[in-house]
Amino acid sequence: MGFNPESLAVLQGEPDWLQQRRRGALATYERLPSPSKTDEEWRRTDVSRFDPGQFSTLEHLDGLKLERPSGLPSGVILKPLRQAAKDHPELVEPRLFTLVHADRDRFAALHAAFFTGGTFLYVPDGVEFDQPVLGQHFSHEGGNSVLPHTLIVAGKNSRFNYLDEYVAEDDAETGYRSGSTEIFLGEGAQVGYVAVQKWGRNVWHFADQRAELQKDSTLRLFNVTLGGKFSKTRVEASLAGEGSNAELKAIYFASGEQFFDFHTLQDHRVGNTRSDLLFKGALQDVSRTVYAGLIRIEKHAQRSDAYQANRNLVLSDKAKATSIPMLEIDNNDVRCTHGATVGPVDPDHLFYLRSRGIPEATAKRMLIQGFFGDVLDRIPFEHARKLVEAELESRIG
Amino acid sequence: MATVPKVEVGTDYKEKYGFFVPEEYVFKAKRGLNPDIVKEISWMKQEPEWMTKMRLRSLEIFRKKPMPTWGADLSVIDFENIFYYLKASDKQSKTWEDLPPDIKATYDRLGVPEAERKFLAGVSAQYESEVVYHSLQEELTKKGVIFTDTDSALRDHPDLFKEYFGTVIPPADNKFSALNTAVWSGGSFIYVPKGVRVDIPLQAYFRINAENMGQFERTLIICDEGSFVHYIEGCTAPIYTTDSLHSAVVEIIVKKNARCRYTTIQNWSTNVFNLVTKRAMAYGDATMEWVDGNLGSQITMKYPSVYLMEPGAKGDVLSVAFAGKGQHQDAGGKMIHVAPNTTSTITSKSISKGGGRTSYRGHIKIYPGANNCKSFVKCDALLLDDESRSDTYPYNDVDAENVTLGHEATVSKVSDEQLFYLMSRGIARAEAETMIVNGFIEPFTKELPLEYAVELNRLIQLEMEGSVG
Repeated sequence: MGFNPESLAVLQGEPDWLQQRRRGALATYERLPSPSKTDEEWRRTDVSRFDPGQFSTLEHLDGLKLERPSGLPSGVILKPLRQAAKDHPELVEPRLFTLVHADRDRFAALHAAFFTGGTFLYVPDGVEFDQPVLGQHFSHEGGNSVLPHTLIVAGKNSRFNYLDEYVAEDDAETGYRSGSTEIFLGEGAQVGYVAVQKWGRNVWHFADQRAELQKDSTLRLFNVTLGGKFSKTRVEASLAGEGSNAELKAIYFASGEQFFDFHTLQDHRVGNTRSDLLFKGALQDVSRTVYAGLIRIEKHAQRSDAYQANRNLVLSDKAKATSIPMLEIDNNDVRCTHGATVGPVDPDHLFYLRSRGIPEATAKRMLIQGFFGDVLDRIPFEHARKLVEAELESRIG
Repeated sequence: MATVPKVEVGTDYKEKYGFFVPEEYVFKAKRGLNPDIVKEISWMKQEPEWMTKMRLRSLEIFRKKPMPTWGADLSVIDFENIFYYLKASDKQSKTWEDLPPDIKATYDRLGVPEAERKFLAGVSAQYESEVVYHSLQEELTKKGVIFTDTDSALRDHPDLFKEYFGTVIPPADNKFSALNTAVWSGGSFIYVPKGVRVDIPLQAYFRINAENMGQFERTLIICDEGSFVHYIEGCTAPIYTTDSLHSAVVEIIVKKNARCRYTTIQNWSTNVFNLVTKRAMAYGDATMEWVDGNLGSQITMKYPSVYLMEPGAKGDVLSVAFAGKGQHQDAGGKMIHVAPNTTSTITSKSISKGGGRTSYRGHIKIYPGANNCKSFVKCDALLLDDESRSDTYPYNDVDAENVTLGHEATVSKVSDEQLFYLMSRGIARAEAETMIVNGFIEPFTKELPLEYAVELNRLIQLEMEGSVG
């Protein structure tokens, strides 16, 4: 058992460059120590009881259901990532794992060495389509690893939406999961991306999402985190071109003994860029969440606007929320605000509803719905919005 | 050791503050740090055995603890090249007239005499490592208030001292509290008995005035039940080109229904490393207020904190930081809610200019069972040019039920509209900017006693001179 060079053998038939990269990432995995509590990023995130080696069986190598929008314009490439690595090395090789770095930590390295499934989407310059691409990643059984990777390349002035859904058939499954995403936005591209994480309640989930935005491009990225015993998600936007705009939104609903960790980065590398982040979560039972986000405005990134907010609704006296919104501003010609709140349902609001004859449980549910309401409106496209609303409804229920 | 370019201290310092007093020391310990030096300090002070032992134990802890890897870059500190103890004059002065003339000359430039005559109950002015001047108004003595330097307190009030010393900040708290406990010298000791209100702020001036010398003062304030005291600490330091280390520890105990306010204006010269641990314990319905202004030093790392130990306790931090060329102010506050029904606020205002860097670093921790707590943090940062930098690192941990916690921060520049308005009224640009900056920190200034507010405004004006927006 364990992840070792022999376990790479099942991933046969891949081009040499990819095999080489996998071997490199595996070496990195073996070299890097497990994150310890002395690392700032992992201080509140305990992975000492997680041994990925026990889940070293890889499930169904291309276990992905892709729903292609009908009438996809010509030139659009949409196929499993491993297939694309074979068919379009000129598009995949220069980009794969250049945003999400394999040597970031042990888990990123493991993901880069063993990623399976996942999608490659290439949309050429000027191509637009309305119907979203739907990628569904399933796990059929527990005790294994499901490590899909999504690579999206948006050509100049392209416009489209994409949904990644991570679904477990057995809600009690155990295992190692990761769903990482790299998005390249060309000049003027407009991309909506939604990730809905609904893995089983006993899995360990690690996700790295990073987007790079060229001039005048717009990214609307939305995360929904519901599953996993442990879920760590990094969301990073690198604003590399003037006039680019990143909207990073998320909702999470933690219950039972779930632990969610979010680390975000809004990296303003050039001027006239804009980013807006809002992460909203509700916590029940004995769940715990950690949010840590950084806005970084680099030296010459004048006239940039950056916003960052994390709101936590704590519904139980045993739940615990940590919120660390950070700023590093290296330039004075900016507008930058951030905020964090942690609190229970407002007793005045509850009193108001109850005084109108609404039972406490119903009133509470209405307030939770209201809490999520403003951020649900920001889900970039209708299909995802309906899906998320239904999911949330069943949780709050 | 990493070679970090040494920051040139502003060459205009002499004109700006206009003082520079030649060194003249009675006793000068050797550079460096080892058990013998610690024993020698303790022997010089004729301390009881428990203190000598505590110092030696703290030295061990200091040696074992790693340097903090977060915050400012401290790798340039050479602990072996520092004087750990200096004594400027043999005996404690009883009145202002008894002070050695060169020390008086230094204070004259700072306007201490007026403050002494008009406002002060007692001045405990620290020149070098020992409190040399100390006066106490008679009425304070009558009320039973003890206001003395910490060394005298150990000698004259051994039981009270031993009961509280090191209880709020144990030596092992962090590397620099261990260092301070090993080599501490001077600082203020205040005891306010039950129900006594000290109407006049108590203050002490601290000065560093020898090349490569450390100041490790140790302040201990005990506010007994229902009492009130306002303590003011202010520092300025003359120019020197090699790095100095200032590492103080301030411990405060605020008992039931008592209130303590601790005001600091820190203006060390820009070669000083100012690494300070300040902490208060607030008990039932007590109030602790830190008013903390950081203008000087090369690097400051200081996070005044309040441990809210019993229901009804209230903590307040009001922090202002100003970082000019080559400076890094890493300041903030910590509120540790241990008991239910406690409240806290932190307000931070920071200004960066000429490549300076200000960081707000804060921690709100609400322990399990500390239900119904409220905490609010607000940070505003003003960046005066595009070379400067501002960071915000707030850590918020909530472990309890029905807690309301909020954090807000903004970063901005001097607004063009405000500048335009003032300039259209015929005010020169530099002056207009100074006015805007003074307005920005007004919530802080208005909490200061008058002469401090005036001094602060004057300092800001000095700092702003020649600034180009």
